[in-house]
Amino acid sequence: MDLKKLVILALMVCGLFGGRARAQETNYKAYTLFIYNFMKYVEWPEAQSKGDFVIGVLGDSPINKELQALVASKKLKGRTIVLKKCNTPEEATSCHLLYVADSKSSAVKQLKELTKDKPVLIVGEREGLAKKGASMSFVTLEDDELKFDINKKEIEQHQLKIASSLVNLGILIN
Amino acid sequence: MRTLWLIILCILNILSIFHFVQKLRLIYPLLLLLLASYSRIHAQADSTVVKNDTLDYYEMSLEQLLNLKSHGVPTELEKLINSLISVASKKPLNVRESPSIVSLITEEEIKKSGARDLIDVLRLVPGIDFGSDVEGVVGIGMRGNWAHEGKVLVLLDGQEMNEILFACNMFGNHYPIEQIKKIEVIRGPGSAIYGGYAEYGVINIITRQAEDINGVTVSGTYGQMEKDFGRRNVNLMMGKKIGDFSFSLSGMMGQGQRSDQTYRDFNDSSYSMAGNSALNPKYFNAALAYKGLSFRVIGDFLQTTMRNGYGNVIRDGTQVESFNSVFSELKYIYKVNSKLTITPRINYKTQTPWLAPAYDNREPYNKTATRTTGNITASYNVNRYVNIVFGSELYRDVAVDHTDSSYFLNKKQTISFYNYAFFAQGLIKTRLVNFIVGARFDKHNAYGQAFVPRVGLTKKYNRFHFKALYSSAFRAPAIENINAADSNGIKPELTQVMEIELGYQLTHKSIFTVNVYDIETKDPIIYYTSLDSSNTDLYKNFGHAGTQGIEAEYRIKDKWGHFTINYAFYSAANKQKVDLYKTENSASLLGFSNHRLNLNAGWNITKKLSFNTTASFYGARWAVTSLDSAGKSVQELLAPQILLNCFLRYMPVKGLSIGVGVYDILNQKFKLVQPYDGGSPPLPAQSRELVFRLQYDLNFKKKQN
Repeated sequence: MDLKKLVILALMVCGLFGGRARAQETNYKAYTLFIYNFMKYVEWPEAQSKGDFVIGVLGDSPINKELQALVASKKLKGRTIVLKKCNTPEEATSCHLLYVADSKSSAVKQLKELTKDKPVLIVGEREGLAKKGASMSFVTLEDDELKFDINKKEIEQHQLKIASSLVNLGILIN
Repeated sequence: MRTLWLIILCILNILSIFHFVQKLRLIYPLLLLLLASYSRIHAQADSTVVKNDTLDYYEMSLEQLLNLKSHGVPTELEKLINSLISVASKKPLNVRESPSIVSLITEEEIKKSGARDLIDVLRLVPGIDFGSDVEGVVGIGMRGNWAHEGKVLVLLDGQEMNEILFACNMFGNHYPIEQIKKIEVIRGPGSAIYGGYAEYGVINIITRQAEDINGVTVSGTYGQMEKDFGRRNVNLMMGKKIGDFSFSLSGMMGQGQRSDQTYRDFNDSSYSMAGNSALNPKYFNAALAYKGLSFRVIGDFLQTTMRNGYGNVIRDGTQVESFNSVFSELKYIYKVNSKLTITPRINYKTQTPWLAPAYDNREPYNKTATRTTGNITASYNVNRYVNIVFGSELYRDVAVDHTDSSYFLNKKQTISFYNYAFFAQGLIKTRLVNFIVGARFDKHNAYGQAFVPRVGLTKKYNRFHFKALYSSAFRAPAIENINAADSNGIKPELTQVMEIELGYQLTHKSIFTVNVYDIETKDPIIYYTSLDSSNTDLYKNFGHAGTQGIEAEYRIKDKWGHFTINYAFYSAANKQKVDLYKTENSASLLGFSNHRLNLNAGWNITKKLSFNTTASFYGARWAVTSLDSAGKSVQELLAPQILLNCFLRYMPVKGLSIGVGVYDILNQKFKLVQPYDGGSPPLPAQSRELVFRLQYDLNFKKKQN
């Protein structure tokens, strides 16, 4: 049996299993859990601390479904949580927390400008967005541990305060 | 329901293995379908669990979030396959992205399986097998290739265990199985990192360290074969971590026997191996560490008895042979800053292996070899995605012949060599693929130089992962290879290996991996015994060698237990040009089955009680079993065999575990074949062995989780 046949056999065997199964895919419930804690451990200015808490999602992401479950079951310090789907960066500026889906990562620079001096916490789904202007972005470490990068400078520019206990949980990039 | 299904599956698999002997092609697809359907059932169970825990999920504390993985709360399997290992890259990477074909064996699996020694553990790894050498010694084979002499590196707590006269490792009641925390096996080359003993593979044994022991552990094992005891070993471990300081001390001593069967040579002389095949280990391992500074010393003393010599039953009776080694290491891990770590280390080892008196016409063997190694390695993280490792190593070997009857090639009783090496590796992680490139250059003052580059692409995409690897590797001639080279001298043998692995995580608790490989070795170093009356050991570079093959593994791991089934196939594929290894079938090499199938299933019946079964199926093997009237070797195809074992482990109170098991339940009276035409008939291994094990862990203080 030559190597070519072995490779074909390997692919066929893998294919047998490949047809089924669900498995170790990104668990957006875990992302949502982090977002819920961001909401709890980041302090918004007094003017934005009343009324509904608005989570905006820019772009399509599987996290929508999980955020809907969160909104339906939880409140934030007695405040109702509202989920808002944003189609353009302009629509996203009125949110408390803006989640940028992977497909809209390129909009971060524009969002940074649009939300300048506004109390919006920008959370990037794609790794590395905190370095490009998001307040935070998720990162999966080598052992699959879920972490988040923190751009403290950006957070402060948005008039937000982050609790030290949350800072200790993430990775400061500046 | 799940439990019932597991039982049915275990029984079906055992029956399938039996059936496999006769109906290989029919039963295998059925087995795969069974496994696939089993995983489907588990997938459904998984989703139920996820749904039910939704409300608790949001109440997790920040501390609990620290343990959260990108796919949620990790299962037992995910903890394993996402655990970090550095054996394949120096830079810690998870198992699925590590740039080698890797098998990871945990302490829990070893304990539950009741493994008697490393042979029991490693023969369950796809591609690994064992064969007999001379004087009762058993060595390792990798992917169909006899790898006993200098082709597989065995590391124990970072120390290179291969003796440096012939670069061999002795297996069988040797290393302390009860003290192992985990074993990382590279089933492919590791020379670009580890140099000349890692041509075909690396076995990295990590024992329980101070913080793992955290108290005192004592254990004892007794094994009873049909006609005599199999082993009686005791272990002691103690260790404690106090702030930045930690210490550990562990030891093992015991007695064992290779077999209780009858050895019969080609001349029909025979003897009973009961009482004549001792494997008596003594071992200690002491370590001290303060912050980045650490010191370790290991003593490894194996005394054996044998009467099979180089094939013929020794007329002078049973002989004692010893393999003694002491290893020491002083190491400092200096973290210059968050990006740069520099690790200088000094290693010193002294070894007196194959120590044997004169018998029959053979001269006594009494040589000591020491190796002093200086190594400095730097690891620089340019950023989260780019890492560079580089360094250099210098070692000096000195060998002393203590006998009056022989001398080294320099006509003196002392000889020395030196070797220097440089190595470097770069790792770049991108969204699409991880790219790793590395190389090592060695220059030896006697046999010259070797340059071995490697390139690897790896990546996991959610449930799927792949690895595409190309590695060059070499086997460094050991001191006796240089000393006993024939008139043409000796040079390193060079190997090229290509490997592809595909992996697919079917559920949160199960994963399937399959890999193919192609090994090509040029100018292999061949051992042979001169045919004149002197029986001289000689070495030469000769011909061409290698294999191709496929290995597949399906693994389930969860709180209820674990289930692993793997299959390995190799073919010599007309690569083998060395007559010593050839058989009448061009696809098969002496001693190693083309088809191997292993099963390892463990069931946690209760929190205190577990039952484990392991099975190794050996397809037909070629062996030299007699000589014809002209004195020429006659080969025979040995019938397929299955080694079936079980082990029951009970923990009545915290810290205490009691185990009882049976190894080779079917009493196959397995024989280890000499994987080269070296004049020895197959060496009998143990008959059915009843094993008892007792272990008690006394923790100084409860571990903080």
